[in-house]
Amino acid sequence: MADIQLSALQKTFGPVEVIRSIDLKIKSGEFIVFVGPSGCGKSTLLRMIAGLENVTAGTVSIDGADVTRAEPSKRGIAMVFQTYALYPHMSVEENMAFGLEMAGMPKQQRLEAVRKAAETLQLVPYLDRKPKALSGGQRQRVAIGRAIVRDPKIFLFDEPLSNLDAELRVQMRLEIAKLHNELGATMIYVTHDQVEAMTLATRIVVLRDGRIEQYGTPDELYSDPDNMFVAGFIGSPKINLVPARVSGRSEQGALLLDVPELGLSGLAVMPRSPEADVPQDLILGIRPEHFHAGPGEHTVELKCSIIERLGGVSYVYTDPGRDNAVTMELRGATPVRAGDTVSASIDPGDCFLFTQDGVRL
Amino acid sequence: MRQSRFYAFVFVAPALLMLVAILGWPLLSAVLLSLQDVRSVGSEGSWVGLANYRKVLSNTAFWNASWLSIVWVVANAAVQTVLALAAALVLNQRFPGVRIARTWIILTWIVPTVVVVMIWRWLFSTSGGMINPLLIQIGIIDRPIGFFSSTWSAMATLVFINSWRWFPFIALMMLAGLTRIPSDLYEAARIDGAGTIKRFTRITWPLLAPTLGVLVIVGTLLSFNVFDIIWLLTSGGPAGGTRTLPILIYETAFKGYRLSEAATVAVLASVLLMAFAFFATRSLAKQGDER
Amino acid sequence: MRRGVGWNIVLGGVVLFFVLIITLPFWWVMSGSFKLPQEIIARVPTMIPQSFTLQHYVKLLSSSDYPTYMINSLVVASVSTLITLALSVPAAYAFFRLRFPGREALYRMILLAYAFPSIVVLIPLFGMFAKLGLVDTRTALVVINVSFALPFAIWMLRSFFGSVPMEIEEAAVMDGAPPLVILRRVMIPLIAPGIASVGIFAFIMSWTEYVFASVLILSDAKRTVPVGFSGIIGQYQIDWGLLLAGASLATLPVILLFALIGRWFVSGLTEGAVK
Repeated sequence: MADIQLSALQKTFGPVEVIRSIDLKIKSGEFIVFVGPSGCGKSTLLRMIAGLENVTAGTVSIDGADVTRAEPSKRGIAMVFQTYALYPHMSVEENMAFGLEMAGMPKQQRLEAVRKAAETLQLVPYLDRKPKALSGGQRQRVAIGRAIVRDPKIFLFDEPLSNLDAELRVQMRLEIAKLHNELGATMIYVTHDQVEAMTLATRIVVLRDGRIEQYGTPDELYSDPDNMFVAGFIGSPKINLVPARVSGRSEQGALLLDVPELGLSGLAVMPRSPEADVPQDLILGIRPEHFHAGPGEHTVELKCSIIERLGGVSYVYTDPGRDNAVTMELRGATPVRAGDTVSASIDPGDCFLFTQDGVRL
Repeated sequence: MRQSRFYAFVFVAPALLMLVAILGWPLLSAVLLSLQDVRSVGSEGSWVGLANYRKVLSNTAFWNASWLSIVWVVANAAVQTVLALAAALVLNQRFPGVRIARTWIILTWIVPTVVVVMIWRWLFSTSGGMINPLLIQIGIIDRPIGFFSSTWSAMATLVFINSWRWFPFIALMMLAGLTRIPSDLYEAARIDGAGTIKRFTRITWPLLAPTLGVLVIVGTLLSFNVFDIIWLLTSGGPAGGTRTLPILIYETAFKGYRLSEAATVAVLASVLLMAFAFFATRSLAKQGDER
Repeated sequence: MRRGVGWNIVLGGVVLFFVLIITLPFWWVMSGSFKLPQEIIARVPTMIPQSFTLQHYVKLLSSSDYPTYMINSLVVASVSTLITLALSVPAAYAFFRLRFPGREALYRMILLAYAFPSIVVLIPLFGMFAKLGLVDTRTALVVINVSFALPFAIWMLRSFFGSVPMEIEEAAVMDGAPPLVILRRVMIPLIAPGIASVGIFAFIMSWTEYVFASVLILSDAKRTVPVGFSGIIGQYQIDWGLLLAGASLATLPVILLFALIGRWFVSGLTEGAVK
């Protein structure tokens, strides 16, 4: 268990700046998820913490000690790779014992440690097998076992579930969550899947182009995004973003908005800082799941272009004649058909306001 | 990471030292030798500057040998490329015995050169060989051919023998390039209606071209240096008709006892080769960029 | 891929062509070595030997130093192979997996070694070996063989190292293994076919080496097979039977070697060779 601190961390590959001056503090025992689109630098950042990538500038500290230039094996870190990276020519037992052997642990102790970890992960019957005789899920567990056995202060996961099929992914996700509960170690997890991020993390780091867009709990990211990118990244289906025009202010400081694409005018939305200056043209964000079927105080009437029925939930895609169709999520089976006009209401409290540049108001 | 740099050095050093000592240093001293007038091995020589170069460059024997080397290299490249490509294409197919074929095609390369020499000297000989009697029996010729008796046929015969020896090696490397071409491409082309020949010209050839380029360059460098086959079969004859540069160098040094002069020829030959390698790899890289 | 009948015939024809062109000469030589002298030089050549005799082999083995040559060649080739492997494997690992300044340039320079006629180095090397007292020693041959095999060996090993996923190496780094251990415990087991290929290559290059062996070895006791054999050719100009027997014997060891581990070499070349 250890805390991690990144200060002004930077990484360039030749002329390309991959990580641009990142500051991050991770508390001991937390489960932190690095999430973001491809190329955002999340894996690079993880590998810099691991010591597999050189740092161009800045420092990495673990428990107060500067480990920026330290060898990976001396940082008290264990890593689970996306492709598991098991040694193909060694048995499961040898794979798990290798790190301990490198650390100089005597044979008897090694085998005991491996046995214990194997029991936790139900790998005991497979100890003599080679990786190619194992299924994907089993290999993943061996990779995790190899990490556990070294009793590290910090666990690093580099997209460990990407190579598994959907059902196995859910199962392994739960196992990882269970692992965190049991061990209580600090864990850093990289994924591009926001569902994994939301379900596993105590806090999430959203990255884009080598910068941190937001760092907070899943709930914070969902209900209080700092910018349009985070709002759009978290939540599935993606949040609706429609243009809005400021027509005035209410006495409490709420902004009165005309939203032509939703057919609303005078919608009062409270910005986070009511005193700030506000441009006239803004972007309104409202999540598909925040539409409620049936008319209400603020009713939206849109024509349904395509409807996707998933049984317990239905997605209504409307076509206001622009690039992005507005998406509404309706609970349960609904009699709406393509071509029908749907009536739904929204609560202004669920709305987010952004400038055209994506800054949250 | 800091650690790995030290280890890298340790890992590379022995090999590098060996190469520098056995190849690098002698090259340097060959250049030095060419600037002296050493006669036989171990004897002293005085510095004569570029005199040797003037002498060699004005000697017709040198230009003849250079010309013959070029002919040799080009002929070998042509024959070997054709044979190797055909063999590689065949080995890329599926038919009973292809595995065995792939392993044993290289038989002609693993056999010592002297054996190759002997085999073909015997086969091509006018008394007791197999080729002449066979050709007479089939009716292609009615008198035995002296394969080594005229300059043209001697060169052709040598090219054939050298190619026979080396083409399987090149073929295997080409096979490597062929197996890299994903079979999906061929399948898509078939669906598009491309016949076998079209598939070759539009898929195989373009994708194999870089490999071929590299192999032609490597093959050229290798065949330029061939000494034993030529020396053992014709000694550079008849009448110097197969005296390529390596032969000239050897003769000048060990038969003519003019070591420095031989070194001069060697240095000039190296320059020629290096220039070729440089320009060839450059044009290959350029073609690669254009693609 | 299904082939039409026409293409099958073409394929069959080409295969036959290659089979004949490669195996016929060897068949003629081997079968000829057992023929009586009269049959060897008969007007009409016989595909299948009509006679059988061991006289050529007897003469060869009893009246020449052939066995000595074989032993010398074996020793030189084996030692050359081992040393080539010992030097090229770590070097290739360093070139292709470790990072150090000047890596690219150094690699290109090593390949440049083949851009020189080997005759060039013959003269100075002879002088150098003479000064070191290494003329007429098998050590000198080993040194030469290793040097000439190294660049190609390193080049061949390149793609074998490349085929091991980076992540496995990184896992070993995370496990705390120093580079030497990674090489020994992780990389080498995973590129065993590549090592076999390079080993066979080095062995064959060494076995067939003629030029340097003929210049550097002066005494019969140290002579290797290629040189010894060409000496016999020179000696017994017309005794074809003897020469055929000698050729067959010179070929035998490599054929045996290849029958055992030839597969690795071929898969090494075909999987590995292309840049």
